[in-house]
This record gives sequence, C-alpha cells and structure tokens, in this order.
Amino acid sequence: MTTTTVSAPAATMRDGYKDYGSGEAAVRALDGINVSMARGEFTAIMGPSGSGKSTLLHTLAGLDNLSAGSSTIADTVITDLSEAQITEVRRKYIGFVFQSFNLIPSLSAKENITLPLDISGTKVDPAWFDEIIGILGLKDRLTHLPAELSGGQQQRVAVARALVARPEIIFADEPSGNLDSKSGSELLAFMQRAVKEFGQTIVMVTHDPTAASYADRILFLEDGKIVDEMREPTADRVLDRMKQMGH
Amino acid sequence: MFRLALKSVRHNPKRLILTAFAVALGVSLVAATQVFTNALSSGFSDLFEDIYSGSDVIVEAAPTTDDEAGDPFAAAEGIFTPEEVEEIAAVDGVEIAGGGLQVDGSVLASGYADAGATDSLSGGPPSQIFNWVGDPRIDQATLIDGRGIESQGEIVLDLDAAPALGYELGDEVAIATLDGVSTFELVGTIRFGDSNNLQGATLAFIEDADAHDLAGDPNYSSVSVVAEEGQDLDRLASDISGVIPEGTRAITGEDKAAEQTEELNDVLQYVDIFAIAFGLIALFVGAYIIVNTFRIIVTQRTREFGLMRAIGVTGKQIRRMILLEAVVIAFIASTLGIIMGYLLALAFSWLVSLFAGDIFGTLTLPLDAVLWSYGLGTAVTLIAAIMPAIHASRIAPMEALRESATSGKKPLKVRNIVGAAMFLVGAGVVTLGLYADFERPYIYVGVGAVTLVIGATLLSAQILSPLAGAMRPALWKWFRVDGKLAANNIQREPRRSSNTAAALMIGVMLLALVATFTESLKTVVTEEFSSTRADAFATSTQGAMPYGAIDVIESVDGVALTSSIGFSQAEYDGVAYSVAVLEPETASEVVEYQSDPSVDDLGSGEAYIDPTIVDLGVEVGDEITLTAGENDITLEVAGTLAREGEGNFWIDFATGEDLLGEVSIVQTLVVYDDSVVADDADNADSATTVTEQTELVQEALAEDYPLVFLAQPGQLEQLANTFIDLLLGVISALLGSALVIALLGVANTLLLSVTERTREIGLLRAVGLKKSSVWRMITVESMVMAVFGTVMGMVLGVALGSALVLSLADFGFDGVTIPWVWLIVYTVAAAIAGVLAAVWPAWRASRLNILAAIAADG
Ligand SMILES: Nc1ncnc2c1ncn2[C@@H]1O[C@H](COP(=O)(O)OP(=O)(O)OP(=O)(O)O)[C@@H](O)[C@H]1O
Ligand SMILES: [Mg+2]
Repeated sequence: MTTTTVSAPAATMRDGYKDYGSGEAAVRALDGINVSMARGEFTAIMGPSGSGKSTLLHTLAGLDNLSAGSSTIADTVITDLSEAQITEVRRKYIGFVFQSFNLIPSLSAKENITLPLDISGTKVDPAWFDEIIGILGLKDRLTHLPAELSGGQQQRVAVARALVARPEIIFADEPSGNLDSKSGSELLAFMQRAVKEFGQTIVMVTHDPTAASYADRILFLEDGKIVDEMREPTADRVLDRMKQMGH
Repeated sequence: MFRLALKSVRHNPKRLILTAFAVALGVSLVAATQVFTNALSSGFSDLFEDIYSGSDVIVEAAPTTDDEAGDPFAAAEGIFTPEEVEEIAAVDGVEIAGGGLQVDGSVLASGYADAGATDSLSGGPPSQIFNWVGDPRIDQATLIDGRGIESQGEIVLDLDAAPALGYELGDEVAIATLDGVSTFELVGTIRFGDSNNLQGATLAFIEDADAHDLAGDPNYSSVSVVAEEGQDLDRLASDISGVIPEGTRAITGEDKAAEQTEELNDVLQYVDIFAIAFGLIALFVGAYIIVNTFRIIVTQRTREFGLMRAIGVTGKQIRRMILLEAVVIAFIASTLGIIMGYLLALAFSWLVSLFAGDIFGTLTLPLDAVLWSYGLGTAVTLIAAIMPAIHASRIAPMEALRESATSGKKPLKVRNIVGAAMFLVGAGVVTLGLYADFERPYIYVGVGAVTLVIGATLLSAQILSPLAGAMRPALWKWFRVDGKLAANNIQREPRRSSNTAAALMIGVMLLALVATFTESLKTVVTEEFSSTRADAFATSTQGAMPYGAIDVIESVDGVALTSSIGFSQAEYDGVAYSVAVLEPETASEVVEYQSDPSVDDLGSGEAYIDPTIVDLGVEVGDEITLTAGENDITLEVAGTLAREGEGNFWIDFATGEDLLGEVSIVQTLVVYDDSVVADDADNADSATTVTEQTELVQEALAEDYPLVFLAQPGQLEQLANTFIDLLLGVISALLGSALVIALLGVANTLLLSVTERTREIGLLRAVGLKKSSVWRMITVESMVMAVFGTVMGMVLGVALGSALVLSLADFGFDGVTIPWVWLIVYTVAAAIAGVLAAVWPAWRASRLNILAAIAADG
C-alpha cells in the first residue's frame, strides 16, 4: 500500500517572512523563503545555528504564523485559517518528531503511537500498525511507559506515531540529535525506508552531515534565506558544502 | 537566603496566589469573628453606659456565687421595701433615691384580640415595663410627646414602640401579665438615652402603684441614686452600704456598667470560640492546599535544587529557604486575611443593623485579632511546608542530571502504614474523648478527629490510584482520549490527587456528619410527637404558662383533661441538675413516658431519677436532698427513667412547690374529649374536628391570655423541623468557607500541574488535540477528584454521624436516618464545583502557545 503520487507538492511556502520582536530588537528569522516539498521526497534542512531552520519547519507545519507570505499543506492555504482549522489540518495531514520529549509520559508506547488516531477517533489499521512496529523493532516494548524506554526507542516510538496516521507530511526537528551514532543511523534508516517503501513525505532539520545524507535533497539555510540546494547528497559532499558556508 | 526566597516568590507569583488566598480565607474568618464580637461588645457596653449613666450609685441584690447573671434584662424579685428606699435617700450626699421595679409582662399590639393565633407562634419582641420615678436621670427617659405619668392607669411608651404597636396618645394600651390583661391610657412617648437604642425591645413606664400591683410585689428590686453635686461616688457607695439590708450591695453606676460589659464578654467568648472553630476548620483545609503547593513546587524545582546541592548548598540551607518562602507567603496571606476579615465583619454588621438597628459600636481592629491572625496564619503555613521542605533538603545532587522529574513512582507502602496507624489512633482517641469522662473531652475529640482525618487522607491515595485506573475504560468511553488522559494524570500523582481530594473530603465530611445528625434528630422529633396522645400543646410566648390560662382551657367544652409540665434546676450534692415537675395523675394520659415504675405511681415526697443520676450511684430506695435557693427537701428515690434528656429528676407538683415555691410551667398538654371531638382524619360531619376545637380554646383565651397559644403536634413537629433545617443551614453556611478553600485547592493543584505538564500539553496540541479537548481533559480530571473527595467525605461523615447518633441513644435516638437527599445534592454540587474549579486551569492550558510549550524546560 503506497500513497498515490500526485504532481501537487505536499507543502509549499511562497515569499515567507518571519520577524521576531520589533524596533532595535527585531530579528528576521525567515527572509523571503520560496520552497516546495514534493510528495514522497525526503528533504533535509541544514544551516548554521540561528539560521532559521526550526522557524521554517514550524511555520510550514502551522505551529507558528508567518509575518508575511503564504504556505500550503496538501493544497490547503493554511496561512488564512483559524486556529481551530489549523489544528484540524495538523491532525489530518501532519506528523511530528521532535528532538526530545516526544511522548506523553503517562501513556504506554502503544498508546503514544495511536494517540493521533485516538484524538481524531479513527480506527487503527492493524496491518499497518504491525508493519510499522515491525520495521521499528518495537514489538516487545509496546506496553512500556516512555520512562522505561531508551532514548533511541523513544524516538522510534515517536516516528511510529508520526507514521501511523499516514499523514501527508512528517516534520522532524533534529530527530537524531540526542542519540548516539548507531541508534541515530538506525532511526534515519527507518525514516528513509518509510519514504522509499511507502511514499511518505518527510522534512527534517539537522546539523549532522551524516544524518542529512539519508535525505533525497538538502536545503541550505543562512540568515533566513535558502542559499543552496543539493540532490542525492553524500556525507562528504555535505561536509564540503558546509565548510564553504564557514562552518 | 532570605533574598533567594523572596526572589522565588516574586518569580512565580501565580502559583502562590491561590495558596495565599487559601490561607487568607481561613485567617479572615478568625479576624472577622473577633472584629465582630469586639464591636458587639462595645455596642453593648455603650448601652450599659446609657442605662447606668444617670445613676451615680446603684443598690441591688448582691450577686450570688453561682452567678446566673446571663440575662441583664430579666425582672428580678423585689427586695427593698419603700422604707429602705427612704433610708437610702436620707444618706448624706444623696440627692434622690428612686426604687426601681420591673414588671414581667408584654405590651400587646393594638387589636391583639382580632389577630389570628397562627402567626403568633414565634411571639413578639420582648417588653421592658418599669415603674415611673419621674426623674429623667433615673428613668433614662426624655419626654418627646404628651406628658409624663401623673396618676394610676396611665402609661408612656418609647417613641418607636408606640407607632409600631399601633397606638396613639389617648389610646388604651393593653399589657399581658401572668394574671391576665390590664389596660392603661397612653399619655406620652419618651426617648430612651440619646438615641432610643433598645435593640428592638418595647420600653414602657406605668405608675409606681400600678407596677407593684402588676408585679404582685410591694417592694423594689433595685434603687438608683443620684448624688449631690461634687460627691465622691466611691465614698457615697460605701456610706450607703451601711444602711442597706444584708445580701444587697451599693455599686457606682460606672462600675456596674463595666461589670455588665464584662459579663457579656464572657458570653461573647463562647460565640468567639464557636466561630473560630469554623475558622480553624477552614485553615486546616487550607493546610492541605499549602502542602500540595509546596510539594509540587519542590518537584518542579528538583533539578534546580539538585544543581544547588551540586555547587555546594547544604540540604539545611535549602530547607531553610523553603520555610522562609512559607513565612513570606504566610505574612502576605495573613495581612490579606485581616483586611478581608475586617471587610467581612463590616458587611455582616451592616446586614445585621438592617434588621436589628444600630447595636454595634464602631468597628475597630482589636490587637488580639491581629496577633491571632498572624499567629495562626504563620503556624499553619509553616507546619504545612515542613514535610515538603524536608523532602527538598534530601534531594541528591545527582538528580540535577536526571532527565525527568517524575517522582510519583515511589510505592505508597509507608504512606499506607502511617495512614492506617493515624486513622486507628484517631478513632481511638475520639472514642476515648466521647466516653471516658476526661477533664476536657473536646480536646480529645478534636485532636482525635484531626488525626483520623489525616490518616484517611493518607489512605485515600491507595484508593484513588486503582480507582482512577478502574475508571479509565468508562472515561474513555465517555470522553475518548481526553478522559483517558485525565485518568492517567490522576493516577500519576496519587499523593497530590488525594491531598487535593482530601481538602474537599473534610468539608463534605462535616456537612454529611451534620446532615446525618439533623436528619436523625428529625426522626426522633417525629417519633416524639407521634408518641404523644395530646391533641394540643399550650405554651406562652412570655415563658411561663399562667395558671389562670390553664383554668380557662379546662373550662372549655370538649376538653377532657390537661397535664402541665414544669422545668427547673436544683442542686444535688453541690451540682446543678434539671428537675421536671409533672402531674402524675394525668401525665401518662398525654405522653408515653418510659419509667419504672409508671409515672402514675410518682407520689409526693418521691423522685424518679434518670441514668445520669443512676451513674452517680444513687439507687431506688435512697434518700436524696435537693436544694433550690434557700429551700432544701429530702426525697425518697422511687423509680428510674429509661432515657436521658427528660430531666434528671422527676417530682410532682406538690413536691415542686415545696422546693421551688411557684413552679414555672413550660407547657400544658391538652386532651380533648373523644365523644365530642373527632380526629381530623375521620372528619365526621356531626363532630367537631381537632382543629375546630383548638380554635375554640384559642378564642376562649384571647380575652385574658392573648399570649398563650395552642399548637397541634403536627404544627409543632413542622416548627421543630424548620428549626433543625435552619441549624443545618447555618452550619452549612459556616462550612461554606472551608468548601470554597477546598475548591481553590482543586484549582490550585490543577493550575500547578498544568504548568508542570506544559510540554506535554504542547505536544498533544502539536499532534492535533483541539483546545476544547484540552479543556475537557482538565475538567474531567477536576470532576473526578471533586466527586472522589465528596464521596469519601460522605462515607466518613455518615459513619461519624452515625457513631455520634448511636452514642446518643440515651437521649432517645434509636436509629440513624441517612440523609439521602442531601448526599445526592452534595454529589451533584461536587461535580459542578469540579467543572468550575477547572475553569481557570483549563483556560490556561488550552491557551498555551504550542511552540513555547514544547520549548519549555520541564
Ligand atoms: N520566539 C522567538 N523570539 C525571538 N526570536 C526568536 C524566537 N525564535 C527564534 N528566534 C530567532 O530567530 C532566529 C532563527 O531561529 P531558529 O530557532 O529558527 O534557528 P535554528 O536554525 O533552528 O537554530 P538552531 O540550529 O540553533 O536550532 C534566531 O536568530 C533566533 O534568535
Ligand atoms: Mg532549531
């Protein structure tokens, strides 16, 4: 079962600007962003600290508002929607993986995974659920509470949660940032598989060239602008590119 | 250290607002009570000064040792002959000496005879009827209208009473006394003191000889003396003491006013204690909230404390810092409480003055109130903060490095053991206090109850946790994820949740206890009235039933018999006991008394004794001596009573007269002739109904005894039940403050746990949980805790109430009536309160900025 590939992109942003504060303290975090995330593509966003990566992710996901410009999710312009409507869009079309604290401490791993479906009151597709946890190797961890899981397992549960509702697009902000290299690369391999095998769309922010190399394309951000784009990246090429940016 | 504590308070004002408010509410009750009784006392001392300001010296009966000076307005027996008054007047330095005499009677409203009896069950305001001396300084009366009294048959009324009772100058004013009704011509109106501040009573003066007639007493009960200019009053008082009879004394007006104020203060002290008890309950409930607040704050700051420890701060210093924080809160809260209390007293006295006139002096803040408020507020806050402070001081430096601050996983074993122990010890101490004749039983009962309740709180965590687990499926079914998350949240911190519920539990427990007691009391009342064979009860709003009225009742056609009951006090073995005076010939015709042998056999010179006296070791056949005033009589114990509460001793009227002089009758039970009067139920056409017959008797009384009223048992039962409901209402209102505090506690805990769960809520929102769902989740959490606290409280309250009722079996309680209606009302109210308490926390939770929430450090 794969998502049918349609030509329309999963998410876009047109002339996106984001300003924080005002007067002398004003910061322009996004400075005229034009970007489009094609369906079934794994995109990584890289750039120096403070370049606006997280801001881009959050505004694309409708967690934060743009100061100017517009963005879409699944052909819906979310910039004009009300808070309640955006919540609806998030619930239907978006999955999240954060750097840490991804899980509700009082819910078991399984309950955490099915949380988005529970919230929207949809039935869990058992075959799909089994497939995901099989791939992520979570079978015998389902009844555990988050506090009883390792960091890597926790992040895998978070990925499973993002996948289970088959969202239009998954946003991940440094998902492997807190993990050692082995669990990090396992996690990223799973994410790559989700894109390749199930046509899942993923946008991921990362600092780590190795992590970025799992993606289909990389966007380089600097001072709120997209300054470069790289397809079919390898860790070495990414490293070179970053050295150019003065890292 | 102090600066650090202050900073912490300043940094997080929100979490402390509700805490401070909880303490402040309790403190405000304490402060308000003191301000209020202080004002009441100063209001009355003004009145006493008014009363005695005209007289320089007062001569009166010397107070007896057993001091029954409770009611300063009661008419006293005459002890000064007119000659003795003359003698006092002849003392050097005395300008005038006026004998004073008060008549025991009531000024009736104009047209009293036409007014129905039904609305008069409660009686009117009291009347104060005096002899007219004619000197404004002694009478304390300024003529306003008409003239003073010049001859017999005339009367003056105070300027408020005359229009209120419907009289104009020249009208005939009726006065009812024990001997019947007399009329006088209204010749003037007067003002008492400066502002006619009589606290609602009617003031009347009649001619000296008339007063002696009506009082049936040739003597005066007191003598008011006005001194000549420039006299040393203390000297004069001691000079007068030389000429007055034994057992009387001369005292200056000033001293007398001071003495009366002091006596009143003794009485007000009990009002104080009663009201402060409710303040303490409120503070006790508040303590739970403080414990919870500090506990949560400590958990939230575990990492901060761990870091402090890592950089070398000692555990002791951390403990001190938290206690200092508590002191700061206590200070702010107590100050707030004092202000609130003062405003509360102000509002209440304003409300009272709407009904009762200006009975208060100026409302001042007594130093006592300030000291008590700060003392109690600080003590409660500090005691409540101790456990969390110790907990914080034990945090290891390592904990700074730990990822999450969830400490709720500790097993509840120790808590359960301590809880069970406290519960049992508390129950034991309460039982001891109730049954084991200790010096101050209420201390045992109080301490025991507090221990028991704390024990129950500790244990309730054990119940609440699995309960929340068991409720998960139901909550899931009703509220989907929101309900499940709510159940998890309760279960996650069982200590916190159960402390929160406990605050509510205490308030509800007391309510349920009172409700159980009053409902059972109602059952007793109902049984009491259904066990009587009397068709009507006659009582007088003046107090004692006039003997003449009984004759009138017996003379009415259709009345079969009457049986009167008198109550009084007499000393046995140096202790005062209650004495019931009965008519053995008729008593068993009207009430099913339970005694051995039957009350019919009670003869003159004999007494029956109740279980209290039996417990003293007195047995049937013993000789006992009862003393009342100057009389003492020796009686033979001839029987025992089955229950307490109907008088310690029973004697008949002949014995009663020997002992008490004239027996004062509290009520007369009337039985109608069955052949003439049919039951209301049968309502046979030919016969007169009970209601009609009662009206007949009432009409017969209207002429001479307008203050005697007949009531049928049903009416009295209703009246008694109304009073019981009123009692429940008053106590509920007083407990209201504790309940408000408990609800604040629920809100506070939720607010703090929303802060604690900021990231979690942000995450839930990020994955698509709607604002309304967040709101619902918090509300369900609140409702579950509120209903749990309420149910626990009801179980405990009904249990304790039942224990109380059962322990009073001697007083005629022979079964517990469970107040189902109230219990349902409380549960529904708790659910609603839960919704209300959740409003603020839910509002905050649903409004959290998602990004900021996720970024928040947890
Ligand atoms: N809430 C905020 N208020 C003010 N300024 C902000 C806020 N959030 C971000 N900024 C600023 O916007 C700019 C971009 O921030 P952003 O978090 O997007 O950077 P980033 O690329 O994710 O950095 P990092 O790699 O360190 O996570 C920064 O200069 C930051 O200081
Ligand atoms: Mg970032």
